[in-house]
Amino acid sequence: MNVAQRGRTKAVTSTILKDKFSWYLLPWIIAGSSFAVNLIVSIFAKDVITTGGVASLYIYILTAGIMSVSNTLPFMIGFSVRRSDYFWGTGGAIGLVGAICAAGLTFLSYVESEWIDGWGVGLYFFHLPYYSEGSAPVQFLNYFLVIVFLFYLGFAIACLAKRFGKNGMFLFSIAVLAIGTVLSYVMTERGWWIDFGHWLAGRTMLELAGGTAPLTLLFMAISYALLRRTSV
Amino acid sequence: MSAVVKVTNLTKSYGDTAAVSGVSFELEENKIYGLLGRNGAGKTTIMHMLTAQQFASGGNIEVFGEEPYENESVLRRVCFIKESQKYPQMFTVKDVLDVSALLHPNWDAAYAAELAEAFGLPTKRKVHKLSRGMLSAVGVVVGLASRAPLTIFDEPYLGLDAVARALFYDRLLEDYAEHPRTVILSTHLIDEVSRLLEHVLLIDQGRLLLDQDVERLSGMAYTVVGSAARIDSFVSGKKVLSRDAMGAIASATVMGEASPQERREAAERGLEFSPVSLQQLIVHLTGRQKEEREAVSS
Repeated sequence: MNVAQRGRTKAVTSTILKDKFSWYLLPWIIAGSSFAVNLIVSIFAKDVITTGGVASLYIYILTAGIMSVSNTLPFMIGFSVRRSDYFWGTGGAIGLVGAICAAGLTFLSYVESEWIDGWGVGLYFFHLPYYSEGSAPVQFLNYFLVIVFLFYLGFAIACLAKRFGKNGMFLFSIAVLAIGTVLSYVMTERGWWIDFGHWLAGRTMLELAGGTAPLTLLFMAISYALLRRTSV
Repeated sequence: MSAVVKVTNLTKSYGDTAAVSGVSFELEENKIYGLLGRNGAGKTTIMHMLTAQQFASGGNIEVFGEEPYENESVLRRVCFIKESQKYPQMFTVKDVLDVSALLHPNWDAAYAAELAEAFGLPTKRKVHKLSRGMLSAVGVVVGLASRAPLTIFDEPYLGLDAVARALFYDRLLEDYAEHPRTVILSTHLIDEVSRLLEHVLLIDQGRLLLDQDVERLSGMAYTVVGSAARIDSFVSGKKVLSRDAMGAIASATVMGEASPQERREAAERGLEFSPVSLQQLIVHLTGRQKEEREAVSS
């Protein structure tokens, strides 16, 4: 990639990140409102509360991956940007946002577990059993990998919709549903669910988060292939 | 003179419908081209394919001697301002100009600011809150300030009032004189832009009907006015594009050039000649029946 090309990838990243509210604030507003509700409940509750409310941030990232394509792709292609530059520029944006989110989550996990235990009211929102195991760098990596994975899951779905339209999405949904049903049936029939459950329970968070990396790469490859054939 | 654009046998079909069929043309460096034709003629599709935003079903496209698809060295020299351009939800006018500066190597920020001012663009306002005319003005500012070696305007004036349109034409001519580049203006306000155009490509029903220098075009047809009977005898055997009558007076637009002898004889019979404007010619050419069009293009 030469200087001029880097400039265009950077233009894509900066175009995406110009929406500072959606990328830097909204994830925290969403997780923060869930946290606030749980905090209020905790103040009045007698028991310790451990909640998975932080999942709202991850769900938001998934939707951001979906929305990002329709919001910026037609603009960028219209402004003479290559599809590959769009792809890598988007990667730069989610890399940065993912790192900020992961750093924030790691920090809050530490505050919650080490400095102000359970925020003084017995609320465990950011530091959860299993999910928050490991050192700070390990936690950071876990959060980052899951965030990037969810973003590219959404991104790939949106690229599919952009490339094949409503009918394509409809057929794809049916196919996913059909494959899921068959797979689920086979697993029940063979009694594999129990084995699968045991296998999952035996994995560390790092192993699971690391396990998303090949899937993330797969979604990236699919998105890239779809984008290359997308017209606006 | 090097060809900036070379299109060979370009075709785009959607199922059984051909939006563009077998179009071939070349665009030279530093000229202003008019891409003319009725709505739905295939102009926008051609421009989308030139800029690799849509894919051709057949044929070949070269821009600056290379295929434009995913070609950074081609695309960074191209600025395509289209009527249907979409902008990110939260973008302000300033954001659009900032990103344009990153994408166009020849971008002139001072000139962009001056143009924005001239068009009365509120740079802090969100693009989505702009009126249709203001939205068009954003495109015009980007298109001019990009100074892209190939600048394409697709119906850039929608919603712009006559004053703003005149401003656009003036600024385009001024800046073009200082920074020559290849410009394609796709429009159906032909009379307004005819003074800008050096060369015309006329697209009709997906086909290239005309590829001609404007100077040559004016000699392609003429209108003759006089008494109905004399007009009829004058035009008999000639290719008549249109004939209108008002009482005993008739006018006929005739394809081709009248010889000096014909003009003399006609003048003796009281017939008057007048040149056909570009718009009239285009209207005649694209408003005709199919077989007549084919006769014209052959």
